[in-house]
Amino acid sequence: MIGFETVASPVGLVIGLICGIVPLAAGIHYRRLRAGIGGFLACTLSGFACGFLGGLPMIALTYAVVLSYAYVNREDPFTSRAALSEVTFEVTRAEQFQRTMANLGKSLRASWKALVRNKAGFLGFLGLAFFAALTIFGPSLIEYEGQAHIERREPGARALVAAPSVEHPLGLDWKGRDVLSHMVHGGQRLIITSVEAGVIATLIAVTLGSAAGLLGGVVDQILSTIANFILTIPAFPLLLVLAAVVDFDSDFMLAVLFAVLNWPTLMRAVRAQVLSLRERDYVEAAVALDLGLWHIISREVFPNMVSYIAINLIFTVRIAMYSIVGLVFLGLVPLREPDWAVMIFTGRQQGVLFLPQAAGMLLSPIVAIALFQLSLVLFSRSLEEIFNPRLRSGL
Amino acid sequence: MTPIVELRGVHREFIKDRERVPVLQDINLEIEPDEVICLVGESGCGKTTTGKIIAGLLNPSSGEMLVDGRSLASRSGKEEKLLRRQLQIVHQDPFASLNPAHTIGDILSFPLRRHRMVKGSGGLQRRIWELLTMVDLTPPGDIVNKYPHQLSGGQRQRVSIARALTVQPRLIVADEAVSMVDVSIRISLLKMLQNLRRELGLTIVFITHDLALAKYFAWEGRIAVMYLGRIVEIGRTPDVIANPAHPYTRALLAAVPEADPELTRHKQAMRLRSDDIPKLTALPPGCAFHPRCPFYVPGTCDVNVPALTDAPGFAQEVACIPVQQGQAAQQIVEDDVDLNPVPAHGLD
Repeated sequence: MIGFETVASPVGLVIGLICGIVPLAAGIHYRRLRAGIGGFLACTLSGFACGFLGGLPMIALTYAVVLSYAYVNREDPFTSRAALSEVTFEVTRAEQFQRTMANLGKSLRASWKALVRNKAGFLGFLGLAFFAALTIFGPSLIEYEGQAHIERREPGARALVAAPSVEHPLGLDWKGRDVLSHMVHGGQRLIITSVEAGVIATLIAVTLGSAAGLLGGVVDQILSTIANFILTIPAFPLLLVLAAVVDFDSDFMLAVLFAVLNWPTLMRAVRAQVLSLRERDYVEAAVALDLGLWHIISREVFPNMVSYIAINLIFTVRIAMYSIVGLVFLGLVPLREPDWAVMIFTGRQQGVLFLPQAAGMLLSPIVAIALFQLSLVLFSRSLEEIFNPRLRSGL
Repeated sequence: MTPIVELRGVHREFIKDRERVPVLQDINLEIEPDEVICLVGESGCGKTTTGKIIAGLLNPSSGEMLVDGRSLASRSGKEEKLLRRQLQIVHQDPFASLNPAHTIGDILSFPLRRHRMVKGSGGLQRRIWELLTMVDLTPPGDIVNKYPHQLSGGQRQRVSIARALTVQPRLIVADEAVSMVDVSIRISLLKMLQNLRRELGLTIVFITHDLALAKYFAWEGRIAVMYLGRIVEIGRTPDVIANPAHPYTRALLAAVPEADPELTRHKQAMRLRSDDIPKLTALPPGCAFHPRCPFYVPGTCDVNVPALTDAPGFAQEVACIPVQQGQAAQQIVEDDVDLNPVPAHGLD
């Protein structure tokens, strides 16, 4: 990933601090100090986490939020109760830019409000934030133990694996390594691969589903037939067989393969949505106004499917994660440590499954995966409220 | 004057369950510039389909539509698009005709920007404010940043009209544009449409199932009564209302309740031979109205399809053979049925 070299490094921190100057300056200028400081912190954090990749977009977002606060009480002709004759419309570029940013900030704040309002959804958001922090900042705080530590064996014990203790809060694994260090370092790959798989599957599904729904006719028939055909294939067993045959050098290939096998369900749902949305009166009005096909897809149909697609994206990510964990557990993809799924696999393979002191080593990845899944499900609940203006507009 | 839109022998069919449904048959209609023409008829008579053909949203299955005296197909692509854009439609359902995902300002800005109707962002805002003021949504600053669901039905319908006006149309098809709006604000909407028509020189095709509305809105224009895919009577509104020719129009007018209960009670009811409307897939031969028609002449009406022409004693055109032959004049007042009899002994 671009910018990931700076993950949680001093360079990232510097980048974040520099990025944070913009919202801070805006906050001071508009006398919205609290918003400015909040923006500064957000920029620093995201710059620290992802370097420029996180810092630069955050500048725009926090600046927009600060501006939206600044605009609340300002006498803005465009939202005033003035009549047409009392308003001058000629504005400078800078004013125009600020107005756009203020509107963006306003909808960001409305989205945030919607997110906080839904308790379950917010809990899920916190869970996801926790896992993000764990995989991004954790590695620089806790060092990874790759080597076996035979010296940690308790006198008289038959195995190295050990229950949680004070210096190893999650216990030791079968090689005597700290489980916590594996938990911290082992999540990133699994999460990124699952998200990749989910995103690719959703992209395929949305593209083909929209094409089938909008173009109809032969295109629709061909695509639907392909989708139905793939649906009849049991995806996971086929994935097992393929995993045994294909050599998965990269996680990306695994993600692609998962996506290829799992797009049809969502594609059919998207197609149905498009079929229903394209008959709406506002689409017909857009046709009469000659707004063009691209406008109809991107501005009339798509915005009304966003929440639906986002929710399905999350569910696809969930299924992808379970599939990958399953593949690893069965030992059908190349194993690379550290990895949560590999921890479960080796636990079984090394025969520590029935040792009570192995609970820390086995349960930690299982609980982490389950919690991550739970967070995804909970978070998906508030997506509808975030994307639907009807539910969002409390501002 | 060249008609702005002319339908010539327009037929339109839909395929439903592999069955051909003839929704429109042989529609001939000339719409003059600056006129108000009202299409009236019951649901399923093809008035909305006619409106959509006029607005360019549907193509006729056969027959042709001329704009400014020439068919659209004979023009260059750019010219065709420009002409089509000048024919706009306002939908019936104000809750479905605005995209819930966009603010009112956005909804109005899309066509303005796409067709470069304005200059710069200041010009865009000014135009949006002008449009909102034109449709009486004031102060505009209150409306521009709202989403459709934050507005009432009447306000949304005004936004729909403003959206149609963005591209500076010459003709607007108002498809039942006020029928889903609360009765109390219908009149103000209609008045606004009338004012817009006068100020902008718009031609309005007003589609409604409500004869009373048609009478009110199109008093200076014409009314075309449709029945099962054909125009059965067309003429100046005062002529049609005061002296209806076609038995179907007479039945419709007789069914309009008057505000005066005394008048309603003594209104002449038009007794039809049947209340069932034939299916479009199984249209009766000859005149489609003959199974219900009180003037039915066996051997004529169920064989020949009547043409829409002049009839003796009427200023308007009518498609009814007995009326055209002057046979049906006396038969109407056959029996004066008391629609709403008051019991002589009161209510027990």
